[in-house]
Amino acid sequence: MRSTGFGVFFRVAFVREGGFSWRVLALESVELTIPSLEAPLLGGITLCLPGGHFGAVVGPSGCGKSTLLKTIAGILPHTGGTIRWRGRDLNERDLDPHELGYVPQFTCAQPRLTVGENLRYATRLRRTGGAKEIEEVVQRSEEETGLSELHDRRAGVLSGGQLRRLGLAMELTTNPSLLLADEVTSGLDPKSEEEITVLLAHLARQPGRLVLLVTHSLRFLEQYDSVTVLTGGRLAYAAHPGELTSYFQVSSPEEIYPALAEREPEQWAEDWVTSPAELGFAIEAEVEDLASQLLTGEKADSSPLPGFWSQAQTWFFRRLKLFSRDRTQAFLQLALLLVFPAVVAVFAYQGLPAVRNMTLGSDTDVIQQLRETLAFTVQSSRTGTLVSGLAMFQVILLALMGSNNSAREVVGDRAILEKEKLAGLRPGAALAGMAAFLFLLVLVQSAWMTLFVRAVCQFPGDLGSQFLPFALVTAAITSLCLAISSWTSSSEQASLGSLYLVGFQLPLSGAILALPEFLGWLTRPLISAYWAWSGYLQTLKDTRFYDLVRAITETPLAGSQLSLWILSLHLGFGLLLAYLGIRRSDWR
Amino acid sequence: MARRAHRTSSPVAWWGGLALIVALGAGGALVFQKGSDPYRTVEALKPQDYLENANSLRGNIYQLEGVIASSLGSSPEKGRLFSLRTSYGDKDWPLPVLLPPGYRDINLQKGQRYRMKVKVNETGFLEIEEMTKS
Repeated sequence: MRSTGFGVFFRVAFVREGGFSWRVLALESVELTIPSLEAPLLGGITLCLPGGHFGAVVGPSGCGKSTLLKTIAGILPHTGGTIRWRGRDLNERDLDPHELGYVPQFTCAQPRLTVGENLRYATRLRRTGGAKEIEEVVQRSEEETGLSELHDRRAGVLSGGQLRRLGLAMELTTNPSLLLADEVTSGLDPKSEEEITVLLAHLARQPGRLVLLVTHSLRFLEQYDSVTVLTGGRLAYAAHPGELTSYFQVSSPEEIYPALAEREPEQWAEDWVTSPAELGFAIEAEVEDLASQLLTGEKADSSPLPGFWSQAQTWFFRRLKLFSRDRTQAFLQLALLLVFPAVVAVFAYQGLPAVRNMTLGSDTDVIQQLRETLAFTVQSSRTGTLVSGLAMFQVILLALMGSNNSAREVVGDRAILEKEKLAGLRPGAALAGMAAFLFLLVLVQSAWMTLFVRAVCQFPGDLGSQFLPFALVTAAITSLCLAISSWTSSSEQASLGSLYLVGFQLPLSGAILALPEFLGWLTRPLISAYWAWSGYLQTLKDTRFYDLVRAITETPLAGSQLSLWILSLHLGFGLLLAYLGIRRSDWR
Repeated sequence: MARRAHRTSSPVAWWGGLALIVALGAGGALVFQKGSDPYRTVEALKPQDYLENANSLRGNIYQLEGVIASSLGSSPEKGRLFSLRTSYGDKDWPLPVLLPPGYRDINLQKGQRYRMKVKVNETGFLEIEEMTKS
């Protein structure tokens, strides 16, 4: 490990005098520990990087490269030390969404949208501007990343390298001054890897912009202005790539990782702190960097985030477009929409049976009265069961449709949602956009169920009053399943949770079997199906069908207004839970 | 202050939100149940008192709930007389209720359950003033 007097003075003075403020990015003894692990994920990382700079973070697998990047971005909270950006402590004031560009390893583009559409929606979520301005930003991003010719190509058919470019382009829409790229060259062929690396190097030439690339590859070292080597969460080296092989006393970069494995990470870290290796930055470069910061500081912060409703609207229209291009999902929705009401109507396709009444007079003999009572009981049993059953059947099928609407709405695209939140998307706006889209489905499903079954089975009662409990139960189950989706970590878990939610609706509603009273008091407030069933049956109150249902059910029927109120609360509760679930951080 | 990507909701917000939902649910239930009860301020009739001495209750207004048992008679001027089977305590009581002529449109059937506001008229019958299916 080489040493120069100037390097010792420079670094020691730098660290000891706390002279981080003129650096774009400065990490001071940053640590990340978690209680379940003995060794820290990051231990005492001290690093300073200027603007107009392209740095690589390298190291063997599991050394903390991506962890470091996520800590800088704020995705992972560091447990010790300080991270400063342009002199300010990020724990006191975080990076603005426009300052940060974070390109994760996974693709954050929607495969069913074209390159241009992905960029357009990403831009609309992150910046204000009219259609013309948005298109200019899209065009510029495409030009910077060499995607202009792929503008109309769907993201789902792009190659790995093209997808990485698209990920980069989406971040460039806000012209960030800190661009973090996490393993964006991993898994690519050597040519694509070189193209992406050269592209990043070019992007770093913008004054004041710092680009950090996490990579395990040690090719193309000549492209980097600095290399940061991590091992076991510790900093082993952070300086010019030209010093790398001599510092590690190897003959080629490929031998660095085996050399790292020969000693403990703590020993490498200790050596780096005490070793006076040259940082590799000339004073003239620092002055230029400082000047560029003063010039570009305003520019990076000048683009405000779109408003809440603008973001919600963008999310809604993007969701609508995705739905229209997802043939499987659209076909499934249509199938459920048509089949479910038909299945209900099959049970009474000839209409509801007429009701024979008992003789009201008291002058019939006892035997006749008993015969009438028996006949009425049998009729009550059949017709009452039919009417009650049809009502509950519609409710359960609408609940199933509701769960299908939203069970995978959040969890299916969680990674993209987290990425967009990091870029400035408000969780409430995302929820509003999702809710607006789901509301459309709810409206169509409940309206069609009400109208179709009513028309075929000739259900009496007020149409509007019958539509309301159906719409609300569909909406309530949709929102509760949306909440489940926002709190689970996989589509399978979300689907299972939604299935249980719908599955318990029927037995706990009391519509088929009356629950013991104490249990009914406990469970009924929570069962949306009960309130929808009650509310629907109340619309038949002026008919004999209501009497027959009352004759066969021991479960008390709730009033219309109360039923609608409770269903609205279920809907509100689901939306509140969904908001909290969307708001929480869930990076994977 | 937590970094932007890692903000969490405080337990206070959680419990507060839950408490609000429960309060709204319970409060709304109370309001709608009480509000939808048109006879909530009307005393319930004790069948035993009525059957022992109906005259002593003349002019009083009560609420009653029961099942239509049979028709006892009708008259265009006086209305229709029914036998209403009502439960009080752990017994069933048959009571005579008179549906005035003004309620010609109501089609009462045996087995239907109604809640009603009744007045003990001068002749001691329970004259229906309002009724609603229960």
